[in-house]
Amino acid sequence: MAAADVRDMLDLPAEGQPRPHKKQKVVEKRPEGITRELFALLGERAPPIAINENRYKGRPKWQTKARVRPWRMTPFSNEARSDDLVLRHWQREPGSTQTPAIEDMKMEGETTEQQGEQKSNEPQYPFAKYNIKINVPKRYTTDEYNRHLRSDEWSREETDYLMDLVEEYHLRWVVIADRYDFQPRPVDNPDDNTDTSTALVPSKQFRTMEQMKARYYFIAASMLALETPPSTMSPPEFELHEMMTKFDPERERHRKELAALQLNRTADEVREETVLLEELKRIAANEQEFVTERRELYSRLDIPVSVSNATNYHNSQGLSHLLQTLLQADKSKKRRSILGPDGIVPTPGGQTPTIPNGPGSARDSSRADTPNGGTTQPATTKKAAAAANKEAAQQAIRTLTPAEEARYGVQHHDRLAPGVQFRSDRVQKLTQAKSHVQTQKLGAALAELEVPLRLVMPTERVVKNFEKLIHSVNLLLDARKVAEKVESEIRVLEAAKEERERKAKEFKEKDKPEVKSEQRDEDAPVPPAPVSGAVGSAPQSGQPVNASEGQANPDASSTANNPASGEPATKEKEGVSHKRSASVLSNGSDKSSKRQKK
Amino acid sequence: MNPSVPPSAAEYGGDEVSAIVLDPGFSSTRAGFAGEDTPKSLIPTYYGKYSFEDQDKIIFGDDVFVTPRPGLSIGNPMGRDGIVEDWDMAEKLWEYSFTSRLTGAKPGNPLHNGLNDVPDGELPTEMEGLETDEKPLADSPLLMSECSWNPTKAREKTIEIAMEKWGAPAFYLARNGVLAAFAAGKASALVIDIGASNISITPVHDGMVLKRGVQHSPLGGDYISSQVRALFKSNTPQPITITPHYLISSKTAVDAGQPPQAKYKTFPPDRTPDASYRSLLEERTLSEFKECVVQVWPGPTKLSAPGPNGVPNEEMARSSPGRPFEFPDGYNQVFGVDRYRVVESLFDAKAAIPDPDSLFPAPTQAQTVSELVKAALNGVDVDLRPHLLANVVVTGASSLLYGFTDRLNQELMQLYPGPRVRISAPGNTSERRFSSWIGGSILASLGTFHQMWISKKEFDEHGPNIVEKRCK
Repeated sequence: MAAADVRDMLDLPAEGQPRPHKKQKVVEKRPEGITRELFALLGERAPPIAINENRYKGRPKWQTKARVRPWRMTPFSNEARSDDLVLRHWQREPGSTQTPAIEDMKMEGETTEQQGEQKSNEPQYPFAKYNIKINVPKRYTTDEYNRHLRSDEWSREETDYLMDLVEEYHLRWVVIADRYDFQPRPVDNPDDNTDTSTALVPSKQFRTMEQMKARYYFIAASMLALETPPSTMSPPEFELHEMMTKFDPERERHRKELAALQLNRTADEVREETVLLEELKRIAANEQEFVTERRELYSRLDIPVSVSNATNYHNSQGLSHLLQTLLQADKSKKRRSILGPDGIVPTPGGQTPTIPNGPGSARDSSRADTPNGGTTQPATTKKAAAAANKEAAQQAIRTLTPAEEARYGVQHHDRLAPGVQFRSDRVQKLTQAKSHVQTQKLGAALAELEVPLRLVMPTERVVKNFEKLIHSVNLLLDARKVAEKVESEIRVLEAAKEERERKAKEFKEKDKPEVKSEQRDEDAPVPPAPVSGAVGSAPQSGQPVNASEGQANPDASSTANNPASGEPATKEKEGVSHKRSASVLSNGSDKSSKRQKK
Repeated sequence: MNPSVPPSAAEYGGDEVSAIVLDPGFSSTRAGFAGEDTPKSLIPTYYGKYSFEDQDKIIFGDDVFVTPRPGLSIGNPMGRDGIVEDWDMAEKLWEYSFTSRLTGAKPGNPLHNGLNDVPDGELPTEMEGLETDEKPLADSPLLMSECSWNPTKAREKTIEIAMEKWGAPAFYLARNGVLAAFAAGKASALVIDIGASNISITPVHDGMVLKRGVQHSPLGGDYISSQVRALFKSNTPQPITITPHYLISSKTAVDAGQPPQAKYKTFPPDRTPDASYRSLLEERTLSEFKECVVQVWPGPTKLSAPGPNGVPNEEMARSSPGRPFEFPDGYNQVFGVDRYRVVESLFDAKAAIPDPDSLFPAPTQAQTVSELVKAALNGVDVDLRPHLLANVVVTGASSLLYGFTDRLNQELMQLYPGPRVRISAPGNTSERRFSSWIGGSILASLGTFHQMWISKKEFDEHGPNIVEKRCK
């Protein structure tokens, strides 16, 4: 039993405490420039200051022997510009790795290739790629405008102007609305024109941003729809189209009014709002706190059964339990480390079988964990080890004889209840029945037998006998209850019968010709009687045996005792009794036997 | 970091093309190479003019302040509203601003400068490309700034000067509000620029000025100077007259409030400089006064209003220790509550110190900073307003008045209690003074900006009107 196995069994971490390293022998290197004798004088502990001599180490080697790459003021042109403005900036010459290639090309002496080389060599201006254009809808033609886009409020010129602005300012509506300055006929009044050039905000016909947006979205949506009809649009296109067609300037205006109101709140309103927000935050925080507290409480309440407690495995029972759980886990994992390849499960045989099994698996697992063992071990050896384990387990089973089992106190349990419990609880549980009355009766019966309710010496054997006793006492109590019930029913039925006979006699004496009605009368009282009603309900609801047993008896007794009663009634009763299940009958026989006992 | 490894362009997006950034203001003109953090050349926009031996001479730069030449008069090419009035002088002054420190003086005409003198008997060779070499800006693109309300004509004139007179290969004209926003690292901001002659509020969205929101008023640094002058006139022990340094020969220390004991320089009447020279130098003393003494009442309520605990703010201000100031002639005085009073009219028009002689008419409430901000915000879309309020950029040298940003913050919070107001004002003095130049420096050194330049070719093709199309 290796340390790893013990650790595995006790559920300790694989390498809880690192193995104390072997004390390394610290051999201090004797620094150069100090004689051995002098160094020996220093003793074991090296002085805190280094005695290393600083020596000139020579010139650092250059990492590369590349030539210096000078910075040159080089002209460049920007591809994002329409004109070819040449500006100059400092640029480093390309590295020396490229120069031989170029020279080679030059050696070939082909002018066209040289040019090609130069062109590919010339890098694109790196910032040209940031020159992005927005997607604006295709500009309408006059025909399209007249057919689809005509509007009473917007002239063609103004629409053109709007579209130009949109393109110019990249759909920044704030800026567009700010710069919007459409003059219907700028040529007509030059005075006005000069005015507007100097004045900051010429307000001729004021268009709100919403109006502009509405117009633009209308045009953009229409153009989109003209280009690709909505039925053939791709989802994003359709979404865009939907969004643009659904733009509501009135709603937008309303929203902005509200936003302005919100912006221009007075200090008091703001304060009130902050107070309310604080309150809300507080409430939310409280709620959160409450939830966390409750969760904590819950987690404390149903804390999982701790398996990690090593004391569980100190006895054989715990060990077998462990094996069982391991097997379960093994089955669910569909691995074959414990379960042999041929599917023979070593029966949980108590203490000893678990031992050879445990270490094997533990060793395997520990080997898998440690990098030096697990990586090198092939699968075949693993299998062999598993087989060996199994054999060992079988051998272990054979070694235990019943006598030994008894001697060692080995027990077998079909099933163990999960969770921790006191064994003394089990003793107490025996003397407690479901109902209080029953418990009292049980207690009384035990008292009669002069057996204490709580066992003085609850050894295993004593408890077993006590169990038997309690069982039989319970049986007796049940039987007595049934008997009492039956007797009382018999009494009732007999009283009813006497009453009936008395009435029948009176009728016979009074009137002879009215036989039919009499018969009817005779029939009538029987079914509503409590007995027959109970009989009817019994087979349907499948009640506990006791109840149906109680109902079965009066029938039997009534049929047995009163063979002289009316024929139709008996027939019916017989039918009912036939319907009853076998268990009832057997119970009836049981009961009769119990009665005999009694 | 290894200095031989260049920073990769993707890291900062820069690509420097040795552009020159020129930021002309009313009080000073800033010029420098793009990519640097402060303008190399900082000259006053004031120039001196005098005649010497019947020749008109002009002085630029700091030399203006130095010598009180006979008949020296001071001029300023800029108008009080920030728009150039005297284009000839503006051109010369701007040219001086970059040739003096940045590009260096170009050699004169090689035919006459003596460098190319040839021995007799040999013919001088014909020089080609002479014309272009003489232009001062032949090899640097030029980025200039302008105020947001600059009229089209002025803009066209600017590009004409840059292209035709200076021979710039490329040109761009940017609004100084936008540039100040860039300097603060914001593409959208509400720029509050407290300059020498103007206060301007510029809403900027995505690097573009929202023209409808632009507001400006003349309550700048010069207005505060006029208020200080008015304060001196009505000073209690005796009215204070400012004697500039050049008129003082020697002085002896006197106690606070005592009349000055100084020997004054006297100039014969034919050798005295112009009155404008004196007022310029008085202005220097005043700006020193503004830097050392003047303080903005921190708020939250006005100076004239009762404070939060019932005590009037004036009383509170009076109880705080005063600040001494010594004038060039040795007169010195401790200024108490008065030092708050001179700037109070920036926020409360009623608090202005009345002065009938002042150049500036009494301010109206609409000209105060808070009202301007309100008007500016009302001029922009409502969705943008909270965003702008969260990005208020304060710039301009006069915003360096002690406690200005605190007061501004209070005013804006009172004006807009709902949205979050966040003021970004650089603590660094030079960043505050030169923020529009710094923004221009950033912009002109960006690799992506180089597609925006108006090239000489485009200018030749489209004429000066192209500036309206391109510099939006």
